[in-house]
Amino acid sequence: MHDGSGLIAVQNLTKQFGSVTAVQNLSFTVSPGSVTGFLGPNGAGKTTTLRMLLGLVKPTSGTATINGRPFHQLGQPGRVVGAVLEAQGFHPNRTARNHLRVYAAAIGVPDAQADQVLGLVGLGTAADRNVGGFSLGMKQRMAVATALLGDPQVLVLDEPANGLDPEGIAWLRNFLQSFARMGRTVLISSHLLAEVEQTVDQVVIVSRGQTMYYGPLDHLRQQQQRRVFVQPSDVGALATALREAGVQALEQLPDGRLAVSGVDAKQVADTALRAGVSIYGIQEEQADLEQIFFRLTSGQFAGHAPAPYQQQQGGWA
Amino acid sequence: MGDLVQAELRKTTTTTLWWALLIPTVLVALGGGLLSGLLGQSIVEVFSSSEAEQLSDALGVTPDQWKFSLLGIGRTINLATMFPLIFGAMAVAGEVGTRTITTTFLTAPSRVHAMAAKLMVYALWGAIYGLAIIGFVALGIVLTSNSGQMPDAGGWAMLALVCVLSSILMTMFGVGLGALIPNSAGVVVLLIMYFLVIENALQLGLRISGVPETAVGFLPNGSVDGLTGSVAVDLFLADAGVVPEEGVYWLRVVAGAGGAQAWWLSGLIFFAWVAAAFGGGWARMTQKDIT
Repeated sequence: MHDGSGLIAVQNLTKQFGSVTAVQNLSFTVSPGSVTGFLGPNGAGKTTTLRMLLGLVKPTSGTATINGRPFHQLGQPGRVVGAVLEAQGFHPNRTARNHLRVYAAAIGVPDAQADQVLGLVGLGTAADRNVGGFSLGMKQRMAVATALLGDPQVLVLDEPANGLDPEGIAWLRNFLQSFARMGRTVLISSHLLAEVEQTVDQVVIVSRGQTMYYGPLDHLRQQQQRRVFVQPSDVGALATALREAGVQALEQLPDGRLAVSGVDAKQVADTALRAGVSIYGIQEEQADLEQIFFRLTSGQFAGHAPAPYQQQQGGWA
Repeated sequence: MGDLVQAELRKTTTTTLWWALLIPTVLVALGGGLLSGLLGQSIVEVFSSSEAEQLSDALGVTPDQWKFSLLGIGRTINLATMFPLIFGAMAVAGEVGTRTITTTFLTAPSRVHAMAAKLMVYALWGAIYGLAIIGFVALGIVLTSNSGQMPDAGGWAMLALVCVLSSILMTMFGVGLGALIPNSAGVVVLLIMYFLVIENALQLGLRISGVPETAVGFLPNGSVDGLTGSVAVDLFLADAGVVPEEGVYWLRVVAGAGGAQAWWLSGLIFFAWVAAAFGGGWARMTQKDIT
């Protein structure tokens, strides 16, 4: 049986569909007590990875475990992990309550649980309506309700914000954070960092089937060097003065500005003053997560992108 | 396992398909029963006329004792079990279509458990359809013919048994094929075409080309039809007195048991088809990547 740790562990996971490598040697862990974002552009292998974790797709090699066990060894999986997947559907002519009662029976929880989760996702008044008449947002709430039926320890959500209105997104955000605060595990995928930035504590960033980064979101922010954009009266003179001051990371931009990395605006301005160069404009770049994400996941920035994440020694529980 | 069986049962009772298919099942069974009774009764009346009686006395046969309506029962069961066949085909194909199969697999200890639960629930449904079929066939015959045209209690019991068995097996065949070809519209059209058109054409082709008649009894519909048809013919012959050899052949063809083996052997042959379809569907469903 599983160890009840709430830990998700993906190790050297690879999946090939014919000649297409959807996921390549992917490794990461997700710990309980936090919301982990699983990020990457469309086609990066996120959905395939989650389906391998949930036993729906057979890995070509590697392992994906929840509580130390592959999905099919969890015993009663519905009580361990709840999932919201795009591939999940509803019978259009079955009512919301009946849909949940079907799966309440399968998981082995009392029927009352169906009404409870309906209330939890705000669909209590629609219990007797056929799911076929539901809006996309209501169906997403239904999917969340289904995932919660077995009161699982782990929640896995694949692009759950799709189809949700702003109110629904805010609800989901609060819900997932409180769920994680109870010491449970949440793994949520998205192709937009901005969409989950306020929700997640940890991120796993994948691109072309490989892990590009995994760790706390704050570390990612700090990892990014600050840059100062400055428009001087004499670019050459300022560049020389900065180099003399030991600043080497300079880049002349096409618009005539100079991009300076690793220093703050004050330092650049002081150097310019000493060199007798006027400054017409100066701007400090905030650590823009979306930009970091873009650099990590875009092939265009291959020269800048860090090497694929290397597994740390002893990183596995 | 009990939990999964209950879940599968709820899946079938919370949508309308079970009664949407039960209505035509009952109508076909009742209609077939009425028609069998009427035809059986009128054939006996023709044979009972004085001239015909003289002829049959001369030939040493006793057509006025022949229970022709029995032959219609076999045919009716075969036609009516098309509906539980479709019901079974929707078990997996329908779930793949609505993509509830994902949730089904996510809430079952394994796919083997999920498929086994389906097997049990659909066997039960096959039995329910089978009981409805034999019940309404009997009603149709009771309404249109006198007791002389009906089998005795043992005969009815035997017919009920093979009807329920045939209905369960047809449902299982549908479940298997629906898992093998998980496309609702595709598998339903294929099954209807096969059982109503393709195999009949195949049987005709085999007969014309001079292949031994018994080959027909090894085909899917030939065998399942033989399961009920052979019993109908056996019951007919048991009370028929003297029937010429050539007559028996045509009786079997009329009852749908042309070329078929004994009822139990026909049942076993169709069971082998069911096992092949179910095994194939099972293998496909337990291996398939759900994407």
